[in-house]
Amino acid sequence: MPEPVLSERFLDGLRPVAVARVGLLCPAGMGPEGARGGRPGEVPGFRARAFVPDRKSIKLMTRAVQLGVSAARLACSGPAAAILDEVEPVRRGAFVGASPQLGDPDDLAPALDVSTGDDGRFDLGRFAREGIPRIHPLWLVRGLSNNVLGFASLFFDLQGVNMNYCDGEAGGWTALVEGARAVAEGRADAVLAGGADALLDAGPLLGGRDVGEGAAFLLLHPAREPGPVVPLDRDALSADEAELGYLGAATWPVALARHLLARFPELAG
Amino acid sequence: MNRVVITGVGVQSAAGAGLSALASAIREGRSCLSPLDTPLPVSLAGQVPEPVEPDEAFPDDRKAWLAFAAAEEAIAAADLDGEAALCPERRRAVFLGTGLASVTPGQLAEDIYPHLRPDGTFDREAMARDLDARRASPRRHMPGRVTAALARRIDAAGPTGTSFSACAAAAQAIAEGFWTLRRGRADLALVGGHDAMIHPLGILSFVVLGAIGEGPCRPFDRRRDGFAMGEGAAVLVLETLEHARSRGAVPLAEVLGAGTSADGHNPTAPHPEGRGAEAAMRAALADAGLRPEQVDYVNAHGTGTPLGDRAEAMAVARVFGPEARISSIKGAIGHTVAAAGALEAAACVAALREGFLPGTVGLEQPDPDLPLRPLRDPLPFRARVVLSNSFGFGGQNCALLLGAPGGIDA
Repeated sequence: MPEPVLSERFLDGLRPVAVARVGLLCPAGMGPEGARGGRPGEVPGFRARAFVPDRKSIKLMTRAVQLGVSAARLACSGPAAAILDEVEPVRRGAFVGASPQLGDPDDLAPALDVSTGDDGRFDLGRFAREGIPRIHPLWLVRGLSNNVLGFASLFFDLQGVNMNYCDGEAGGWTALVEGARAVAEGRADAVLAGGADALLDAGPLLGGRDVGEGAAFLLLHPAREPGPVVPLDRDALSADEAELGYLGAATWPVALARHLLARFPELAG
Repeated sequence: MNRVVITGVGVQSAAGAGLSALASAIREGRSCLSPLDTPLPVSLAGQVPEPVEPDEAFPDDRKAWLAFAAAEEAIAAADLDGEAALCPERRRAVFLGTGLASVTPGQLAEDIYPHLRPDGTFDREAMARDLDARRASPRRHMPGRVTAALARRIDAAGPTGTSFSACAAAAQAIAEGFWTLRRGRADLALVGGHDAMIHPLGILSFVVLGAIGEGPCRPFDRRRDGFAMGEGAAVLVLETLEHARSRGAVPLAEVLGAGTSADGHNPTAPHPEGRGAEAAMRAALADAGLRPEQVDYVNAHGTGTPLGDRAEAMAVARVFGPEARISSIKGAIGHTVAAAGALEAAACVAALREGFLPGTVGLEQPDPDLPLRPLRDPLPFRARVVLSNSFGFGGQNCALLLGAPGGIDA
């Protein structure tokens, strides 16, 4: 069956790159139809347990990572799962745009609570002695920007070329471009490419901007039967910020995913 | 495809400011770790000894200052500000590896502690309200700003990227820059990495993981119990050979290839047999078109953790055989986390140029269970090709292959 093929000048003359599946979670909803509701900017009805069966792993994920891994699972579902099965793990790549995931401040609360000096001020010495044992050993690990990539590589056995771009909204776009390039140049035979972010608490840090959360991933592979052409052109896409809020590293992956699913709803994971 | 050479290197490390300071320390096999004054359960760290010049656009962001200082040295060494014409701005690229934001005790007290409610829960809205953009803290969490600042410094309008893959970040940034030049998408690139985690939350993060040792860092030693925290930055100027020749720049070394991989095994532990590490090394060899026997030396990731060193040793032995020449410089300067791949690439440049192989500071009793015998002391040796490994939490791996200028042709 013909598959949509990405086009861009840098892909000319290389092997065609097809989109096998799209995983999308954004404030307009999950998948192509979408559903409104919940807090503005929030992915309505999202529960990580619906996508990640391993509860222990969920505990290691921030909200953005949960969204990213869930969108990755959608992108690796259905026909994409069969494609992955045919490709050796070392030929499966991952290119991700993601922001630093600050370890949840709630996790520090018990340690900070016992670190109060007699004068009511924060006491680093007490923090070292009494606070540290109250902090979860994997507090740092939860904060790493590359957790979406790490968990996706773990769940879908993506052992090949990879990169995690940490450049805000530009990072998500770079991940899409470099993922397509890796397939086109023959460095990988299946690539998960996209981005994730969760900025609901970050509005004040971003100058009061309307913010949101979301994730989108494409599963790319060499086209077997090239179909309609989809330009990999940021200028041709609408980032939909007015509708969805600013989505950080997920901005452009979500925009491309929405564009693809509007044209090819059968790609929805 | 273009050949890619290194024409400038800048370093900030526990050995001091400059590539020459790092080169001296590892050539002499000298530990640069120093006592750390902290109530936290850590006694030694690889602290940059000299004051680092602050940057007013990045207040309190020590890792940014380290990156800027290293970049200035690299730019001067490559004479990018000189009179020879450089490529157009759109042909200049920047790729930087970075880590988690620094948080000082003052910021901890100022930003986080006051937003704890009396019942011990955390008031997120109050914290978000108080952390406005005029303060340093939020900006530290936007790592791409340092990459952008370096791009402005060299008027780069070409490809840029900020790599965040924990301890593999800098090596992956160098790999991205290398591939960008080799494929002809740019002619010149600043690449490298920076990090500064010798602060309470940084140290704490690794203490609770059990990754930091109590005493000196002892890579590949039977008594190894974790790494010593380090800080630093290294920036390399990469150019296509053609571009370097056109402006009369002298290559210090050549980037021959790079490989990345993912363990796909566990969020915090390496694959026990180093599956991902092996894949990255083999990918780098394939990328460079080299055979394992053409590699003279392996600069190990070698953090001194029991599991990590074992997995890497097994992988290196499978790729290069049990007689491979291998060592780790982390016992000398500490583990600089997101900067490590760049500092170790800089160390490899020094070793290639000066004709020695680094030893492994802290290695006294080689672990008999490892399938390799790492170099304990520096060794006079004129290597032509070296490989540098970097592996990160999350399972991302990167191997870089560097060569002496013209070495592979010789």
